[in-house]
Amino acid sequence: MVLTHTTNHSYSHPFPTVTLAFFLRYYSPQLNPFSAHVLSTDTIASHVDPDTGRLHTTRLHLKRSRMPAAVVKLLPTSITGGGGDKSSFVLEESVVDINEGWMTTQSRNLNFTGVLSVTEQQHYSVTPPAQPGVEVSPLSPSLPRSMPTNTYVTTTFSYRSSLGSRKEKVAAESEDAPPRRFGSWVTGWGAKRIQGSIESIASNKTEDQLSKSRDGMRLVLERLRTNGVVATLRELRRREGKAMFDA
Amino acid sequence: MSASLAPECNEVKERYDTCFLKWYSEKYLRSNGKTDDNECANLFKDYQKCLKVVLKEKGIDKLIDEAREDTKENDALYIKRK
Repeated sequence: MVLTHTTNHSYSHPFPTVTLAFFLRYYSPQLNPFSAHVLSTDTIASHVDPDTGRLHTTRLHLKRSRMPAAVVKLLPTSITGGGGDKSSFVLEESVVDINEGWMTTQSRNLNFTGVLSVTEQQHYSVTPPAQPGVEVSPLSPSLPRSMPTNTYVTTTFSYRSSLGSRKEKVAAESEDAPPRRFGSWVTGWGAKRIQGSIESIASNKTEDQLSKSRDGMRLVLERLRTNGVVATLRELRRREGKAMFDA
Repeated sequence: MSASLAPECNEVKERYDTCFLKWYSEKYLRSNGKTDDNECANLFKDYQKCLKVVLKEKGIDKLIDEAREDTKENDALYIKRK
């Protein structure tokens, strides 16, 4: 089973600024205090498609305790490794199309996927999302010079627990991993029930997570509105006691 | 400044990030995408050389490759729908 959760939101900032804030949102806890749980951020791929002008970027984040504590409690220590703090790798892929005025992003966890896979998909756009039953005129191929001042975002979280499922067991047997991997301790109906609990606990945390991530984005956006990006970066570096690199 | 997963790559990562953000805000966003990011390419190469070693050591490179294969399939569907 997969639980999904979709919400719409808008920022009262122009689209280009919102995309910049997206790239900057984990830059520093001084810029975004809601990013203190992000331990590291690395870009692993970035290129502009010469045909479309779209920027494709892949980043790897290490985040502290992505798995809700309530989920951890459901699992034996042989899976969680015991202890309190968990950190997980999150792969973030994004595409920006500045001409058409949209950005799509997808983030998901790379480890603990045998317990819970969380995927967050976002679609940012200069046009509001289509409402069911309301006719929306198609986006004109080239936008007017003045960018709209609002940016709309639709966020979909998907939660899937494959704990103890057949697929996971096959995967476990075919790999050189130790024989008792995730899920081998629970099977059948019991597994289904636990999967369901894990998915719903995680899903219930969504509102909280989303509102924090929006607050973070808003803080970055405000800073960009007042200072612009170069001054913002310079100020952060000054506070860290480092010289600004000449880029 | 956000850290790199590999502390030994922090410095080159910072240089790249700074270059990228400057390029993105001052060139990419203003040129409607009619620019490439060659000016950060050398920094990116150095950064990746440093980072790849650690990703491999920790076995994360394989997880990333698998995940990106998945995305490519989904992207193909998504872009068709647009």
